[in-house]
Amino acid sequence: MTTTQRVHWDLTYDVHLGATWGRFMAGLTEQQILANSCPECSRTFVPPQAYCESCFVRTDEWIELPAEGVVEAFTVAWQGFRGGPTPPYAIAGIRLDGASTLLMHYVGGLDLDDPSAVREQIGPGTRVRAVWAQERTGQILDITHFEKI
Amino acid sequence: MATRAVIGGAGITPATSPRKQTSSSLELIQEAVWGALQHSGAAPDSLDGIVIGNIDGFEGTVLGAKHLVRRLGLGTELPVSILNTGGTTGGNLVQVAARQVRAGDRRRVLVIGGPTFFGAQDLQSAINTNSPMIVEQPLGMGAYHMGAFYPSAYTERFGATVEDYAVSAVQDHEHASRNPYAHLRNTMTVDEVVGAKPLSYPLTMAMVCPVSTSANALLVCAEGTTSDLRPTPVLIKAFATSSDPYLGGGKNDFAAMENLAILAQKVYQLADVRDPREEIDVVEVFSPYAPMQPMQLEALGFAPPGGGIDLIRSGATRIDGDVPVNLSGGPLCTNAGVAGELAPLVYVALQLMGDAPEAMQVPGARRGLAHGTGGTFFQFENLAILERT
Repeated sequence: MTTTQRVHWDLTYDVHLGATWGRFMAGLTEQQILANSCPECSRTFVPPQAYCESCFVRTDEWIELPAEGVVEAFTVAWQGFRGGPTPPYAIAGIRLDGASTLLMHYVGGLDLDDPSAVREQIGPGTRVRAVWAQERTGQILDITHFEKI
Repeated sequence: MATRAVIGGAGITPATSPRKQTSSSLELIQEAVWGALQHSGAAPDSLDGIVIGNIDGFEGTVLGAKHLVRRLGLGTELPVSILNTGGTTGGNLVQVAARQVRAGDRRRVLVIGGPTFFGAQDLQSAINTNSPMIVEQPLGMGAYHMGAFYPSAYTERFGATVEDYAVSAVQDHEHASRNPYAHLRNTMTVDEVVGAKPLSYPLTMAMVCPVSTSANALLVCAEGTTSDLRPTPVLIKAFATSSDPYLGGGKNDFAAMENLAILAQKVYQLADVRDPREEIDVVEVFSPYAPMQPMQLEALGFAPPGGGIDLIRSGATRIDGDVPVNLSGGPLCTNAGVAGELAPLVYVALQLMGDAPEAMQVPGARRGLAHGTGGTFFQFENLAILERT
């Protein structure tokens, strides 16, 4: 007895970025990583956000952060998923210099063949720098990945 | 004084893989619902509300919960509340039901958690749609990757090894082997967990939850209205939730479960718990990735920072220890979506009623802790203290 039947969804969406992320994406096309900060707690957000989630006030000042920072958390994926990148690949939470939040991104240029050797390559504390795409269209992958400095 | 909410019955279905499951979602939910009614002794016409949840997109429909309730055989007049908060849906079902009862709006609410991981052909890609769009989703971050970020930072601070992260998996499997409702009931050694297929550093396949199918139901009642029910009522003494920022990168520290620690302080204060290790008899935490469990136990005050793995190694969290943890085997051995999120509350309630399956019952358990968490980086936490009345 068959107890399953297959259903398929094929839908395309437009996500409306709004002013704050729109400005962030525009910055990426100019090879700039734009952040903004809270007037009360002075924390600096990247990606930027319109409100501070701690102080419940509008953010105001915009600043450009250096495209360099430190890995605080990471993983290397050895198994992929449908629609995802081809494994293995490394992803990390990166504290850009001057940022109060982590920016998630790929870390490239690593030898990922040996699982026991990845930690020494991109363990927390590793300094990394953004590598820019040749063609930039205003998306997070305008930075193709970060690489070790 | 406001009405207090109690749990008056529970229903569970045995779990299995989607491949082996021959019942439909509706049939599993019906089994859990009628199981809860039978366990409680409540007549169907004594219900005055249903709280049910689903996770958009996971089941190939966004109508998952709505189209089910009329087909449960409980009549057509019951008001229905539908929740959709991703990985915290299961916990929030009970929170909402308890609030409806405490507000005096309802007296007997049936809480239903269905098998929402049932259908997706590639659940990882479905879960990835819940990852923040635009800035994190394009980076190959799905679900198990998120469970891997924590141990990478925890290792840096406390020096834990991959073998250390395996201990909670070994214990969860040992506990699940005693639970007739669990999906994975095999026991495992540390070497087997460490030697399993590498998934996402430092996680191996054995440190990550399975995709299960099962359903759970709980009956939430106004205190003092349960004289027609068979089980010893279990008081929902305290229930609260807490959130980190939506983006994973908004978390402050991956080496500690800071958000859970803040929530625990609040809930312990509400429940008048001063020394959790001394005062709590049974614990179910939501740790679908093995390294999360020791960190959660630290945030909940059962061990100091960096001490969670030693706590598990000491035997204190086993069935014969002073603070048994995840006697159900936890989500590492059974995870059926919303049903899995509801499971910690179901199992703790059964323990406190004295109605848990015999092989996993903690004798005389009086006070229990049930935890849930969701979000692609576990930004969202819920926590309850339950007490035998």
